[in-house]
Amino acid sequence: MEENSQGAGFVKAPQDLAAGLFLIALALFAFWLGSNLNPGTLRSMGPGMLPRIVSALVGITGVVLTVNAFLLNGSALDRIAFRGPLFVTIAIIVFGLTIRGFQIPLPGGGSLTAPALGILGAGPLAIMVSGFASPETKWGELFIFAIGMTVLCTAMFKLALNLPIPLSPIIFGY
Amino acid sequence: MGDLFSNLALGFSVALSLNNLLLCFAGCMIGTLIGVLPGVGPIATIAMLLPLTFKVDPTGALIMLAGIYYGAQYGGSTTAILVNIPGEATSVVTTIDGHEMAKRGRAGAALGISALGSFFAGCFATVLVAALGAPLTKVALFFGPAEYFSLMVMGLVFATVLARGSIIKAVGMIFVGLLLSTVGQDLETGTERLTFGWSELSDGVDFAVLAMGVFGFAEVIRNLENPEARDVVKGSIGSLLPNREEMNRSYLPVLRGTLIGSILGILPGNGALLGPFASYTIEKKMAKDPSRFGKGAIEGVAGPESANNAGAQTSFIPLLTLGIPPNAVMALMVGAMTIQGIVPGPQVMTKSPNLFWGMVASMWIGNLMLLVINLPLVGMWVKLLKVPYRLMYPAILIFCCIGMYSINNNPIDVMLTAFFGLAGYLLVKMGFEPAPLLLGFVLGKLMEENLRRAMIIARGDLSTFVERPLSAALLAIAVLLVSIAVIPSINKKRDVVFTE
Repeated sequence: MEENSQGAGFVKAPQDLAAGLFLIALALFAFWLGSNLNPGTLRSMGPGMLPRIVSALVGITGVVLTVNAFLLNGSALDRIAFRGPLFVTIAIIVFGLTIRGFQIPLPGGGSLTAPALGILGAGPLAIMVSGFASPETKWGELFIFAIGMTVLCTAMFKLALNLPIPLSPIIFGY
Repeated sequence: MGDLFSNLALGFSVALSLNNLLLCFAGCMIGTLIGVLPGVGPIATIAMLLPLTFKVDPTGALIMLAGIYYGAQYGGSTTAILVNIPGEATSVVTTIDGHEMAKRGRAGAALGISALGSFFAGCFATVLVAALGAPLTKVALFFGPAEYFSLMVMGLVFATVLARGSIIKAVGMIFVGLLLSTVGQDLETGTERLTFGWSELSDGVDFAVLAMGVFGFAEVIRNLENPEARDVVKGSIGSLLPNREEMNRSYLPVLRGTLIGSILGILPGNGALLGPFASYTIEKKMAKDPSRFGKGAIEGVAGPESANNAGAQTSFIPLLTLGIPPNAVMALMVGAMTIQGIVPGPQVMTKSPNLFWGMVASMWIGNLMLLVINLPLVGMWVKLLKVPYRLMYPAILIFCCIGMYSINNNPIDVMLTAFFGLAGYLLVKMGFEPAPLLLGFVLGKLMEENLRRAMIIARGDLSTFVERPLSAALLAIAVLLVSIAVIPSINKKRDVVFTE
């Protein structure tokens, strides 16, 4: 993937092409999802009417973008980072899984259980995992920061605002 | 006129209650705190702090949210002046001359004039909101489902035309937003729509999940990409009060900026965004020596900052009177109101005057608080600006996670937000702006409801939209706008406004 070069040659606006194809794919997907819904008539619209119309509109926009990408000059594709998005997402999911425990059903039956760590566990864990997202992370510093933030968040959200966040079910039972 | 004063008096009696004063104060403080963080603009700030307001009563919640909004906007200007990073689009202009002033040791004066100008603009806009509120609400009473539908179409058209970047992509985002709004149970029949048969989605995509994902998490991911190059002003900030010469240069730009910002702010679409740009252009044109601009001209801070704040406030007018959010921030407000069980629209003023006028009055109080709490606290904000991003982003993440979880005490919400964060990041990479998506999402349900009602009343005859005069007029404005927007020469000018 080149950076900031104007698309030369056949595809004149690679970014628009990607955007257009994405919209078309989304439209087809939504259309397929909504295909079993009854559209009704204009006089009495059914549940399927709007999803169908809007999917069509999304699709048309996608087609226009795609066609434009071959006609008008536009931006090249942006470089897509890998590390940041991946670890930020993992950190959030880890928080979600461990804040009060979670059962992940496995395809072959049975399930995988995430422990209920509560704010005292899930907080620092998520912070430490998120550290992988940046090349500038200093681990010692982040560790101390994670503890400080957890104390602060517990004091603020749990004690001051009285939100029903589990403290640490695995240790205290609540 | 007498009505106006008695209404405002009611408003102040609500807003001045100890509870609401505290909420307003908390909103302004936390809003500024988050808004000061480089790269975190008002939309992201409100999205992140939305969960904090859910446990409060509706009036208090809206007062706090409005405070968060002004606070974030104000914090954004501080960052723009001191670090040369615009927290959001509206403070782009402020970076041009504001940061130049800061480099010359006049950071204090730039911050001071931006606070004073904003306060003046805020006072003016508050009165304007109060004055225009009642008459506009009366107009809204003539609106049937067909008119509402057309009004929303017009609002969305404005949003695309005034959006930044590619119009066609903005249109695409609006449609995707509308599509997302159809997920969940059908309003009339209760049929599950586009839910994959997944019970988590049967109530539709949660507003907070979408907003926090697309604006909060996506923003964090995006900021991680840019290697940290912060140009925090070193040395002293200098006196916060502008000197006499600076004052003399500033007061006319403040007046003009306030007026321009107020008018543009009422426009649906991103009207508030245009204010600072328009103000800057005008000040530059009117200046005796335009070459000073870009090198630290105080007029280039005073005008746009006033316009910015005035527009931020007048953009509440369409929301409060017609129930139509003119931009993404107001879309967040609609989301917050709906969660609180209030349907935005003309009936809010008659059914809950306390809420309506209390919020209007709190706007003025909020502005006063910002002036009083921020100027002495500037030193603290500067320290905060020196916190490196490698520590800032984990803190933001954990705040957002806790916030998301505590809305419904549902860990799945947190994970869904992660998904929307990733999706938001990829959308930006494809050159899409997420703001129109949120607008489409918020208006989607209302539009469907009104469209279906209108069709039932008109027995399925689409011509009802052009036969009813009000509806026809609104649609005509929309068509006119679209045709203006697609004429290439004007399109080019529009780009100039945004790149200048």
